[in-house]
Amino acid sequence: MEDDEEMNFRYTMIGAAVCIFIFYLGLILSLFYFVGGKGFWDALSHPNTLFSIRMSLIAATIATFFAVIIGLPSAYALSRFKFFGKEILDTFLEIPMIISPIALGAAFLVFFNTPLGELIQNKGIFFVFEVPGIILAQFATIAGLATRLMKASLDEISPRYEAVARSLGSSPWQAFYRVTLPLSFRGLLASVILAWAKAFGEFGATVTLAGAMPRKTETMPIAIFTALASANIEKAIVLILILVGFGLLTLYGVRLTGKRYRYD
Amino acid sequence: MIKIEGLHILFDTFKIIDLNIQIEEGEFHFLLGPTGSGKTLILESIMGLRKPRTGRIWIADREVQSLPPERRGISYVPQDLALFPHLNVKENILFGIKARDLDMKTYEEHVYTLVEVMRIDHLLERYPAHLSGGEKKRVALLRALAPKPKLLLLDEPLSGLDLSIKIDIQHLLKNLHSAFHTTTLCVTHDFEEAHSLAHGMTIFIDGKVEQVGKRDDVFLRPKSKKVAQFLGAKNIYRAKVLKNEESSQRLILGVNGLLFSIPISSYQDKIEVGKEVDLFIRPEEVMILREDKPVKDSLKRNVFEGEVLDMTDKERYHLVYFQTTEGRIPFEISIPNYTFRNLNLSIGNKVRIALREESLWMMS
Repeated sequence: MEDDEEMNFRYTMIGAAVCIFIFYLGLILSLFYFVGGKGFWDALSHPNTLFSIRMSLIAATIATFFAVIIGLPSAYALSRFKFFGKEILDTFLEIPMIISPIALGAAFLVFFNTPLGELIQNKGIFFVFEVPGIILAQFATIAGLATRLMKASLDEISPRYEAVARSLGSSPWQAFYRVTLPLSFRGLLASVILAWAKAFGEFGATVTLAGAMPRKTETMPIAIFTALASANIEKAIVLILILVGFGLLTLYGVRLTGKRYRYD
Repeated sequence: MIKIEGLHILFDTFKIIDLNIQIEEGEFHFLLGPTGSGKTLILESIMGLRKPRTGRIWIADREVQSLPPERRGISYVPQDLALFPHLNVKENILFGIKARDLDMKTYEEHVYTLVEVMRIDHLLERYPAHLSGGEKKRVALLRALAPKPKLLLLDEPLSGLDLSIKIDIQHLLKNLHSAFHTTTLCVTHDFEEAHSLAHGMTIFIDGKVEQVGKRDDVFLRPKSKKVAQFLGAKNIYRAKVLKNEESSQRLILGVNGLLFSIPISSYQDKIEVGKEVDLFIRPEEVMILREDKPVKDSLKRNVFEGEVLDMTDKERYHLVYFQTTEGRIPFEISIPNYTFRNLNLSIGNKVRIALREESLWMMS
């Protein structure tokens, strides 16, 4: 009797998990209904498509690079130190996650119309409707997330390791790169991959700040949007499939990093 | 010599006020305090990982409180050991020598001796995940000792080990210390650990130092009831000083109508007649007399009759619970197993106990 109940419970829970899987799989498989037509192959080899793929890869990588450069030290600070305003800082990291990407992009547009924003554009780099705008928008979207994820990886490493390394003669920098960094490397790598994937798929903030100009600021998600807007279904599907392919690859990458060898 | 002077630490709920510790060159010193009394905090302050409010620290006559941890010449073995999991045993051991950029050649022999003493030569290529609890302890100790520290800090080195490994590591610590004479400060809450290894000790309760002294001074002659109780003392009695016998140089104390005699020479301060004090004797210092043998002179003054109430086998010794017939004063008595067998005791036996005068201790 009790066994029956336990089986019921088990099958209900697993059933729910299988439903989610079928739901997403069906969605992806439905794309293939349109695969193979002449328009499909044309779209795949079209220079605009290739451009948007390349643009997405480059922009996401640069945005991730900057997010790590600033995010890793920030993550370390949040993980290890107590300082004034830490709670507020930590909360602020969530801002890009809770506000709509389009609002984030719009905020940038507003900023670049302030005297400071204009000064930066006139004396430095042009962001609005330019490639740096893509990178900036993606960076803004992922910097908080990357910091949070990296902080979680660093939190897993006991500060005791650094304490011992310090007592044995390491400076704080040495203790960081000889002990903490190698110990948290897999976690950090997974964080970076996830942040990159998020940048790669970013749409709202990018399109608002950098626009949707083919062969200039058109990333893959933007290209999907414009393809749909002009009823070019084949092109949209090509791009979606590629996006899904990259997405699955990154997820697989994260899985690989998760297979850590047992430390202790 | 290691000197810690006027250390104040305020951290979260911890409050450590005016901590003073002095450790002689080559001494194995214990900082004993209850769990959660902030002992690790003190170690971290000595190491330089935490900034105390005030306080000065000297290590081998060099004032270090403004130096970063890596320049203090201290090695630290935390409770969880923190062996670097991404490095093998050999790399762990050499970490300190490499980090300090020391000349490997001058340390090679020292490290080799340590490896021999610790008997871990077969483990050098292994990773910490594949070591047993005892092996990990050895490696952690070796890693700490390899760069020849001026001070070794041990945080609860014997906790969380099986009894046999514990005894093993205890011996090892003793041997290592007699071989290398590394000045050591060890924190623990376990007075039994401290007893077998300590030269000197500092008793630290509720953020304050209660007593400092040589091991036996502290164990046999605690300054207060608080210290005695922390050290696991069982036989503490409220007593009244009844008489000061000038002729025999003895104080006579009364507990529930029974008279105890203690030599006056053990106390520097003058003890007033009529004063209420706490009288204390360690369970190991109480003897059960064999009626077929004569009583030694040193025992004659404090002999009491009573009954065995209960007994427990503690694996390495026996505990006998005894109560005097007159005054009904309970005694906990610890007896080595071989003596216990010779005594042939059973519950309800009428026996006599004797207390060594020098082991009776009075706390005011």
